[in-house]
Amino acid sequence: MSEKELSTAEAELYDRQIRLWGIESQEKLRAANVLLIGVRGLGSEIAKNILLSGINSLTILDDGKVTQAELLKNFLLDRNSEGQKIAKAILPKAQALNPLVKITADTEALSSKDKDYFKNFTIIVGTGLTTEQLINIDSICRESNIKFICGDVFGMFGFSLADFQNHDYYVDQIRLPNRKRTHEGSKPVSTEAITKKVHSKINYPPLNEVLVTSDNVTKPTEGKRKRRNELFYLMRLLIEFRDKNGRNPDYSSKDNDVAQMKSIRTELLQKYQFKEENLKEEVLDLVFGEIAPICAIVGGVVAQEVIKAVSHKEVPIHNMFLLNPYTFSGKEEIVGA
Amino acid sequence: MIESAVPSILSEDVRKLIPTSKILVVGAGGIGCEILKNLALSGFNDIEIIDLDTIDVSNLNRQFLFRKEHVGKSKAEVARESVLSYNPSISIKAYHDSVTSQEYGVNFFKRFKIVLNALDNRAARNHVNRMCLAADVPLIESGTAGYSGQVELIKKGVTQCYECQPKPPQKSFPGCTIRNTPSEPVHCIVWAKHLFNQLFGEDDPDQDVSPDTADPEAAGSAGLNALGTGNESGNVHRTSTRQWAQEIGYNAVKLFNKFFNDDIKYLLAMENLWKSRKAPTPLSWEVVASNEGDKEKSKIVNDNVRSVDMQVWPLHVCAEIFELTVGVLKDELNDKKFLIWDKDDKLALDFVTACANVRAHIFSIPQKSRFDIKSIAGNIIPAIATTNAMIAGLVVLISFRALAENYDQCQSIYLRQKSVHSNIILAPENLIEKANPKCYVCSEQPYVSVFVNVDTLTVKEFESEVLKKTLNMIAPDVILDGKGVFVISSEEGETEINNDKKLSELGIVDGSILKADDFLQNYNLTIGITQYVAEKDEPLFKIDSQNTELKPQENGKQNGSVDKPETKENDMEVDDGQDEVECVTDTVEEDPQEGTSSKRRKLNPPEDDDEDLIMLDDP
Repeated sequence: MSEKELSTAEAELYDRQIRLWGIESQEKLRAANVLLIGVRGLGSEIAKNILLSGINSLTILDDGKVTQAELLKNFLLDRNSEGQKIAKAILPKAQALNPLVKITADTEALSSKDKDYFKNFTIIVGTGLTTEQLINIDSICRESNIKFICGDVFGMFGFSLADFQNHDYYVDQIRLPNRKRTHEGSKPVSTEAITKKVHSKINYPPLNEVLVTSDNVTKPTEGKRKRRNELFYLMRLLIEFRDKNGRNPDYSSKDNDVAQMKSIRTELLQKYQFKEENLKEEVLDLVFGEIAPICAIVGGVVAQEVIKAVSHKEVPIHNMFLLNPYTFSGKEEIVGA
Repeated sequence: MIESAVPSILSEDVRKLIPTSKILVVGAGGIGCEILKNLALSGFNDIEIIDLDTIDVSNLNRQFLFRKEHVGKSKAEVARESVLSYNPSISIKAYHDSVTSQEYGVNFFKRFKIVLNALDNRAARNHVNRMCLAADVPLIESGTAGYSGQVELIKKGVTQCYECQPKPPQKSFPGCTIRNTPSEPVHCIVWAKHLFNQLFGEDDPDQDVSPDTADPEAAGSAGLNALGTGNESGNVHRTSTRQWAQEIGYNAVKLFNKFFNDDIKYLLAMENLWKSRKAPTPLSWEVVASNEGDKEKSKIVNDNVRSVDMQVWPLHVCAEIFELTVGVLKDELNDKKFLIWDKDDKLALDFVTACANVRAHIFSIPQKSRFDIKSIAGNIIPAIATTNAMIAGLVVLISFRALAENYDQCQSIYLRQKSVHSNIILAPENLIEKANPKCYVCSEQPYVSVFVNVDTLTVKEFESEVLKKTLNMIAPDVILDGKGVFVISSEEGETEINNDKKLSELGIVDGSILKADDFLQNYNLTIGITQYVAEKDEPLFKIDSQNTELKPQENGKQNGSVDKPETKENDMEVDDGQDEVECVTDTVEEDPQEGTSSKRRKLNPPEDDDEDLIMLDDP
């Protein structure tokens, strides 16, 4: 992972982002090897954004095939690719986004991959995974100091969840040394801003503490704690639906799926004792499909977190991002820490 | 197609409207490309796209519908082809044209169900705002800058318009600061750009680079009087800089000595300027040339980005580059009438970098790398794919609601950079911002006060600087109210005779009322004239849309919100003291420390996903 210096051509191509995050970050991106699991509606957005950012390599792992429905929501696909493996079918358009990135399509199943497979990456991005898969991959990542982030879109709802472990980062703090101009003295007071690197650290909880252990943590001492964002429970509900059914809620079986989600909701209500009105049943009508603009938002958030994780610059989201399906408010929520 | 891309969870009426609604996307840049993709993936079927720009390499890190082989081609046309290659059944029409062109009148805009702005400059935003008000079409306005962005619905009679809140003026610097007393790198960069234009560009008397003897601060300097009519190289204009340069055949050594030695000596003679400032040190070519000892060490011709672009060039390198670029630019000039400064033209940028840094050295001002100078001189606003993707996602979500006419659910939404002080990344407003009843664009009877010196300002200047550049009219007709005097006509040849007359010569005096009418924008504006004589360092004219006696406004929100219902307590969602959607070039002025400044938060939507604001030019 050598961080070779950027060529003039790269500096030109990435000019507008180097002006934002600096050449150091760009060199770190250039050395990053990313694994993306799942390249559907959300996955294609993430792929686009991180390819454009100028990473070293992107491996796309997806064993699915192109269907009619997939064609409609994935702009990296060609109209005549129906029936092909998705990971392969997106290659031409993905590569066109950035010819400098090495892209590998892997059409095997996630279950066929052993531990070593994951160890070659700087960061792993997961979409469409079950609780078990998430926890497994996360524990492999933890062993090898690989950053991990996952995200999903369910209709108008979306989230991201990261485990960057012990993450070091810095932010540039800009100070104007002295805004007053001198009236006496002959020395001109420089109004030049001084940029200082301020280093910080965030310790992320492992995903099993977010997705499993946090179940039972309702300590009485936490009475003062800020109320949990109810969208966290919606995320749990939807992942649980996926765990049970091996698929996301589907509009073609809407009545059945809503009924099942309602019963999961009732269980969660009992388990976590949150107020019923904080997670109304109506929201379950909004969780069908991968809505393109929602994928664009969550894909933007996930990709930006990947960039932060790799470059160790800027404050990352700790550890969840939750998108409100009604107001489109998007908030950070710390879960499991 | 068997299935439809229209999201099944949307209400029945919206689902029906999506495939049949004609949508206009204004701008095919960073946000525009993302919007087009989202529209296509959401089942929109009838799209038109307009953009006058062509594709540049620096667009490719985010404008993902374009590839390297498209560089130089029309953005609108390539974007159209790219969307069609994804889905050939979409009807999409491209215009490689300016949206402010006369061809796109109110009737053009009336054809659309919704207009989506994805622009990079305020003038075009203002214009589309007026067109959509006139056509009564909902407009979704958006912008990004770096990690921040925002989306806002504008609908006549429902929300505020784009121009309801006065925007801070674009940054400019007093001429004396640029010509006589620079104190910041930016002053030297502006001066260097002016020097480029003086030597190679189109003539602009406002961009003089020689010492300004009319500087009131310098008045009474004994040395100034002693200098009399100036020295041999022409500090006092017997000829223009350009003419003189041509006469000496663009001899780099002579040019260098005039701008960096003789002119500086002249400035020193204006001794009153240096009583409270560090005086500049003249620098002659001979001194620089004798100083190139370690030339070997700093060969700057290699492919290493960090050293050529990111490091400050040593002085002798600046001098070499000056000589080199003057030579080549002179030859380029031979084939053309004049050159146009362009930050992407390497020679022009090198010339400005060299000159700005030599001048900075002379005035003991920190020097800058070429990379930094390009940012400042080109007014480059950083832009990334992720921010644009998120904002464009919100634009299309708001479009769903605007189609259903659920305007009460179309609050503005701000995207802000995650900080340790806030856990909010996407922050919607709680309420729709109501129109400012005093808005000089969208109120019933638009009125604006203009403060000008009627004895010095010509009709032509009034038209170009006040009406067009500031009030953003395209082709105004103006009559003097009560007198029936036709001051300006948009028809060619009708009022040219007035061009060089001062306003007062046409009877326009303090208290006069002008009626301005822009036919294209379907916009009638009443202008109240107040006589005003600019002090040193003050702008030549001012406008006041709020009739607040030019009182500075503390916060756009407070003004014009008198009849707004009491803001709810947790309206604070977007109000927690963050300062996110500033125009990047303005942040120099702000205290950028996190969480401390918020006053101007909503006043300035992020200018521009792209670049080229031409903000550095002097008034």
